[in-house]
Amino acid sequence: MNNTVLELENISYKYKNDLILNKINLKINSGEKIALLGKSGSGKTTLISVLNGTIKPTQGKVKLFNESFEELDRKQKSKITTIWQDLRLIEDLSAEQNVNCGLLAENNFYFAFKNLLNISSFKKAHKYMKLCRLHNSIYDKKIIKLSGGQKQRVAIARSLIQESNILLADEPFNNLDPKLITTIKNLLLENVDKNKTKKSPKTALVALHRLDLLNDFDKVIGIRDGKIFFNIKRNNLKKIHLEKIY
Amino acid sequence: MNKLKLNYTSLSFLPILVCIPLGYQLINNIHFGGFKLFQEFLISAFNPKIDNEIIITVIKRLNETILIGFFSWLVSIIFGAIFGIISSNIFYKIFNIPNFFYRILRFFLTIIRSIHEVVWGILLMQIYGINFSIGIIAICIPYIAVNSKVFAEQLETIDYKSFESINQINAPKFSSLITLIWNPIINTFKNFGLYRLECSIRSTVILGIFGIGGIGTSIFLSFQTLNFRELWTYLWSLAILIILSGLIFKKIKFNTTNKILSIFFISVFFITTLFSFSYFLYFIFNNNFENFNSVSSLFKSSSDLGLFDFLKLILETIILSLLSTGIAISLPPLVIGIFNNNTSKIFIKIFAFLLRLIPTPVILLTLLTFNNPSVSLAALTLGLHNAGITSKLLFTNLDSQDKRNYIAMKSLGISKKTSWLLGLFSQQAKSYLAYCAYRSDIIIRETAIVGVIGSVGLGWQLQESLSSFAWQEVTLVLIAYSSIAIFGELINGKIKNGLT
Repeated sequence: MNNTVLELENISYKYKNDLILNKINLKINSGEKIALLGKSGSGKTTLISVLNGTIKPTQGKVKLFNESFEELDRKQKSKITTIWQDLRLIEDLSAEQNVNCGLLAENNFYFAFKNLLNISSFKKAHKYMKLCRLHNSIYDKKIIKLSGGQKQRVAIARSLIQESNILLADEPFNNLDPKLITTIKNLLLENVDKNKTKKSPKTALVALHRLDLLNDFDKVIGIRDGKIFFNIKRNNLKKIHLEKIY
Repeated sequence: MNKLKLNYTSLSFLPILVCIPLGYQLINNIHFGGFKLFQEFLISAFNPKIDNEIIITVIKRLNETILIGFFSWLVSIIFGAIFGIISSNIFYKIFNIPNFFYRILRFFLTIIRSIHEVVWGILLMQIYGINFSIGIIAICIPYIAVNSKVFAEQLETIDYKSFESINQINAPKFSSLITLIWNPIINTFKNFGLYRLECSIRSTVILGIFGIGGIGTSIFLSFQTLNFRELWTYLWSLAILIILSGLIFKKIKFNTTNKILSIFFISVFFITTLFSFSYFLYFIFNNNFENFNSVSSLFKSSSDLGLFDFLKLILETIILSLLSTGIAISLPPLVIGIFNNNTSKIFIKIFAFLLRLIPTPVILLTLLTFNNPSVSLAALTLGLHNAGITSKLLFTNLDSQDKRNYIAMKSLGISKKTSWLLGLFSQQAKSYLAYCAYRSDIIIRETAIVGVIGSVGLGWQLQESLSSFAWQEVTLVLIAYSSIAIFGELINGKIKNGLT
């Protein structure tokens, strides 16, 4: 049975005269946890942006559940959630309002409006903020007033609240201390259900710089100059692979 | 020899050179017939007329001014926000609408705002006659377009990455839009709302001078009858109104997390929108369009205006705009820099407030008491009035600025004036010039007012053509006005982009 959830077919992306992604072919199967390695500027963020549909590739096709990304409706596209390297939170809104933004896809305009007026329910947002070890004293604080680590966890909570099947994360452990990294890593790589009782596998592609975090991943992809240099099981990763990309 | 290098600080002072040709013409045009009147005008400021009769008139006239000013402000700020949203690039990105529509709408709004409210007022009065709602409509038409530009510019500062992140959540498009624009809209309202209210009141006063009613009409009638004591009673009561409205506006806390307040503001929004729309339909379908027939004669009427005369008027308007802008840019930093002590600052602030308060036609008429009508006199009037506005901004920015550089320079033994210039003003020069670029757009539009009163430029021609129902000339003048304003806006936009 074909259990591919995301697929890139011969993807290239050109920005001005620079070829950022060069003929990339990639299949991500359901339940796989993949670490994406590569030095800064290698094309990791662009690859994630192509996978979530933010960037349209210059050439090639992106498929989600075997269907072309462009043909999918809004609900289907919302099965992907992204944690951006630069967080992309709305600075003027409070932490809980930002987390609630993750619920915009499954709610109507009235919910969005109530969220802005601060009269919507924040119960679910608080649950995920708590899971991300955010103290309740910062829930109603504006993003601009939070520390780097707190902002990072707000962005993670906003992504988790979407309860999507596929997670794309670009260096999600930035600004976090070692203890928090373990907590967040567990949260991201294990699906959290509504009652926090059942944990099921979640498909994840996580761009990383820290090699000591690779243990929880099934596969490792190495990218350099917009090309995939290796796509192997984590157990097969050797020093020689890393030398190719760093 | 080293090449001359201009920086933002020197560029702020350079335009004062316009005072050379301006001063030359003003000195040549001086007459001594009205010095006594001018003296009387000044003395009356300290001795305004106060009796029961005038107080009743003031209350009645202020009521009219407040009604026109407030409603035109409310309608123009709400519709300005709506048009601001639909003319901002974020709207087109979210809804995937081709940029073509965005450009057409923007161009249309640019044309609308390029014509001053006085011109709209005179035009509408000619067609529909004098009536209370004409005042509101005349102010609302250009103000909606002006406010929409302010809102759209603020919406364009939304970080593109925030847009991408909300877009990636795949929320319904209206949910994404409201989430992204809500706070920029509220902040724009907080930051510009009071200023726009002040502008609305000022415009109501100016339209009053042209006969729409309110305190402006009383000011003009007092001036015409040379009753300066009465004139100053109206001016001081107007000052109290502007100060009070500022204080009330500052007291209202636009806290969007307060449920009752939010519901109140949303109700005001919907009621105003519905009411304005219904009124617009009523106005369209229930008006007597008899006078409007004269517009249909537009293509039949001939124009006596020769090409040479017309080009001369355009040139006069451009020169008037340039001279006024020069004064408005350079006069405030020059005066504040030279008279840089606390007592002088108080006097400069009062003087600047008076320049903002007294309507430009009244300033011009006062100056006409000792100078013949000329482009220079009109430019001086417009320049002084706008210098009152730019100096307010400069004072606000300088007062809130970090003064450590200034203190450090003074402690090195550098003179107070030089320390102010290099340690304080130089840090503000760039943003000050950017604001002045925006201000010069308004100055171009305002040339219409001084033109009508001071027999200068296209403003004067417009008044003449309207009085004789020469609609072809009116159209020509309006096209010329729009073209100058749009061209000026394009140049200023480039300057502003370079500065920000």
